[in-house]
Amino acid sequence: MTIRPATVALVLFFAATLAFFSVSAPRFATATNYENLMAGFSFVAILAMGQAFPILVRGIDLSIGAIVGLVGMVVFDLTLIFHVPGYVILPVALVVGMLAGALNGVLVVVLRLQPFIATLATLAAYRGLTYTISGRQLVPGLSTTPITDRWIVGIENYFDVGGWLGVNKLLAMPWFPLSFFIMLALFALFQTLVLATRFGRDLYAVGGNYEAARLAGINTGRVIITAYALSGLCAAIAALIMVARFTTATEALGTGSELTAIAAAVIGGVSLAGGIGSMFGPALGAFLLGAVLLGLTLQGVPQFVQQIITGAILLAAVGYDRLLVVRRQRRLAANLAQAG
Amino acid sequence: MDAPAILRGVGLTKIYGNLVALRDADFSLRPGEVRALIGSNGAGKSTLIKVFTGAIAPTLGRVEIDGVAAPLGDPSEMIRRGIACIYQHSNLAPAMSVLDNIFLGRQPTRRFGFVDSARQRREARALLERHRIAIDLDATVGNLPTVKQKEVEILKALALDARVILMDEPTAWLAASEVAKLHDTIRMLKTRAVGIVYISHVLDEIFAVCDTMTIMRDGRVIAESAVADIDRPRVVHLMVGEKLARESAEAAHEKRHPRGTGEIRMSARDLTKRGVFTEVSFDLHAGEILCITGLIGSKRTELLRTLFGCDRFDGGTLQIDGRTAAFASPTGAIAAGVGFVPEDRHREGLMLDMTMTENLAMATLDRFHRGLMLQRRRMSEAARQAIASLSIQPPDGSRPVKLLSGGNQQKVLVGKWLNRAPRILILDEPTVGVDVGAKAEIYRILRRERERGAAILVVSSDLEEVFTIADRIGVMVAGRLVRIHDADDCRLQDIVREIGGAAA
Repeated sequence: MTIRPATVALVLFFAATLAFFSVSAPRFATATNYENLMAGFSFVAILAMGQAFPILVRGIDLSIGAIVGLVGMVVFDLTLIFHVPGYVILPVALVVGMLAGALNGVLVVVLRLQPFIATLATLAAYRGLTYTISGRQLVPGLSTTPITDRWIVGIENYFDVGGWLGVNKLLAMPWFPLSFFIMLALFALFQTLVLATRFGRDLYAVGGNYEAARLAGINTGRVIITAYALSGLCAAIAALIMVARFTTATEALGTGSELTAIAAAVIGGVSLAGGIGSMFGPALGAFLLGAVLLGLTLQGVPQFVQQIITGAILLAAVGYDRLLVVRRQRRLAANLAQAG
Repeated sequence: MDAPAILRGVGLTKIYGNLVALRDADFSLRPGEVRALIGSNGAGKSTLIKVFTGAIAPTLGRVEIDGVAAPLGDPSEMIRRGIACIYQHSNLAPAMSVLDNIFLGRQPTRRFGFVDSARQRREARALLERHRIAIDLDATVGNLPTVKQKEVEILKALALDARVILMDEPTAWLAASEVAKLHDTIRMLKTRAVGIVYISHVLDEIFAVCDTMTIMRDGRVIAESAVADIDRPRVVHLMVGEKLARESAEAAHEKRHPRGTGEIRMSARDLTKRGVFTEVSFDLHAGEILCITGLIGSKRTELLRTLFGCDRFDGGTLQIDGRTAAFASPTGAIAAGVGFVPEDRHREGLMLDMTMTENLAMATLDRFHRGLMLQRRRMSEAARQAIASLSIQPPDGSRPVKLLSGGNQQKVLVGKWLNRAPRILILDEPTVGVDVGAKAEIYRILRRERERGAAILVVSSDLEEVFTIADRIGVMVAGRLVRIHDADDCRLQDIVREIGGAAA
C-alpha cells in the first residue's frame, strides 16, 4: 500500500489544527482536553470506520445513529428489565447491530433500493422500534435507575499510560480511555481486512467498477450486504461505549451521529464515488472533527453554531471529493484522446 | 472441422422489450480456432458475446461448453469453465493497481482469506515475461494511458488460463504497432489450442489473423465461412445486406444535394473540447443532410451535445447564420432555431408517462399559452396535425408515449421539433431500435424537412442509414472529423476503412 498524498495532507492538516487551537483556544493544550477528545470521539471514529464500508461500495448508511439507539435500548432492557448478565448482553448487542446493518444491505441488494433511500427508511424504522421497546416507557421508574452491570459500565475505564511509562514527572499525560484502545484494535483489524484480504479486494472492486466486479465472478451481493453488516456492527460497538459512559440509554441515543460519521469518513478521503479510501482517513477524520469542535467550544462558540460548522465542513469535504472525481474523469478522457 | 466444439451456442435469442437483439443464432468454436464475428452496429455481436460471458441470460436457447450445457447468466460459472472476455468498454476498477485488476475477483489466498500477494506478484511476473509485456504492476489503472489499460484487460484474460477468449473490438483504441503485438499474442494462444472470437470492424485485421468468420445482421447469423474462401466485397455485401445494395441503388436515383442551396447555416472551425474532440471543422448548408459516422467512442455524441449548448467547448468558433454563437445552454440554441433529437429517447428525449400531445408540445410551449395558462385546445389541435403528418400509429394524442412502439416514439421525438420549423435539426442515431417501416418513414420526414430548406446534421453508426439519407458523409475517428465526402463520390468500402482508422 502506497501512502497517498491525500493521507499526508490529512495528517498535516490535523497537526495544523492542533497547533492552531493550542495557541488560540484557552486550555486546549492540556491533558484533560486530550482526554476529552479521546473519550468523546473514539466512538465517532468507530462509527466513521464502519461508515467507510458502505461508502467504499458506493453506498451510504444513514441508519447508524438509529442503530446506536436501538442497540442502546436493547442493552437497557436486557440489564434493567430482564437482568441478563453483561457477558451475554455484549455479544447479543453486537449481533443486533450486525443484523440491523445486514438488513440495510439486503434492501439495497435484493430490492435494489438506492442506499440513501433504503437507509433513510430504516433510520425511521429503527428509531421507531427503539421507542416501541423502550423500557423507560414500559416500566415506570426505570428511567432513573442507572446501569451497574460490571461488564457494561466496565467499558468506561481509563488507563494511566503516562504512569506506566514513568513519564508523568516530565509531562502531564492524559489518561487513556478504554474506548480509544477499542478504536485502535478495530482500526488494526479493519485496515488489515480492507488491504490484505480477498474480501477487501472485492470491496474495492465492487465500489470501483460494479459491472467489472460482477463479470469477474465476484459475488457482489454478498460483498455489499457484508459491508452494511460491518457498519451495523460498528454502530453496536459505539452504542456500548456510549451506554457505558452515560450508565443509561435514552430513545434519542446516537441521533445525528450518522452525519458526523459520514463527514469524518469523507474528510478522511473515502470517496463517495466508491472504491477509494482506507480506514486511516475516517479514524483520523473523526479526531480532526473532534479537535475543531472542542477547540471552538473552548473559544466559547455556542453549540448551535458548531452544528452549522459541522455541516459546512461536510459540504466542503463532499465538494472537494466531487472535484477530485471530475478531475479523474477529465484525466481519463484525456488519456483516451491521446490514444487516438 | 473434425475437432469437437469447445464453445457452442444453439438457437440463442435475446429480447429486450419489443426489440429482438438476437434471433435464433447458432455459433460454434473449435480449439485453436480464431473466429471473426462481424456485422454492422446493432447486428447482435455484443449481445451474443454477453450471453457467452454470462453477463446476460438469453431469452431462449442454450450454451454448451465441451458438449455440456452451461448455466446461463452467471459470470462466475463461465469464468470457472474457462471463458474469458476482453470487453469493448473498459472493465477495470480504475482506482486499483494493475496487479489487483489482473486478479480481480480471484486473488490467490492463504488461510483466513488473506491475499497471497507474493504468489500473486510471482504469477503476474511470469505472465508478463511469457508474453513479453512491460507494465508496472503497482501503477494505478486509472492513471495509465488507454493502450496500457487494454493490455491490462488482455493480461486479465491471459491470467485465467482461459480456453476461450472473446475479444469485443480489442483494437478500437490501439495504435498499429500495438495491434500487431496483439495479433502475435493471438497466434501464440492459437498454438495452445485456445479458441478465440474476434470482433472488429476493420476487415484488414480479420483477414490478417482470423481463420473463420461468422457474419451477423439484424440479430441473425446470416453466413459462416472460412476466411480463405471469401473475399472482401462479398463480406461487405453480406454485412450490409441486399437491402442496402438495393436502397443505395435507389438512393442514387434520389437526387442528392451536397451543400444544399449553398447557404451556410452552421459553420464550425477548429472546435475543440479538451480530452474529447479536437479541431472539428465543417459547414452545414441549408437543404442538405450531413451524416457523421464512426465507431462508438469516436465522440460524435459529445460533439452534437456541444453544438446544441448542452456542453461547452474550449476552443475554436461556431457560427450560426454567419453570427458567432457560443450557447451557454440549449435555450440559446433553440432560440437560434436549432432542434436536437438525442440518442437515448427514453432517458433524454421523452417524458414517457406523459401523453403524445404533451410531448409534441414540449419544445413549443412558449406558443401555447396565454398569460400563465396553457391553451390545451390549441395544443391538441397542433398535435392532431403533427400526428397525421407524421403518420403516428395509433393516431390518439391522449395516449401515453410509453405505450407506443419504438418507431412511433421516435417520430414523436422528431415531431416535437418540427412544430418550430427548425432552421437546423441535429439528430443522434435517429433510428436505433426502430423497425424497418418506421425507419423509412423517419427518412421520409428528414427528406421533407430538407426540401423545406432545413439544414440537417445526423450522427449514425448504421452505414445502411448513412448511405440512404446522406448528401454528404463525414467520418469521425477518435475525436477528429477526418474527412467529409460527397455521398455520390464515395464507396462503402472506403468509409468502412476510414472508420477503422486506416489512412484514407
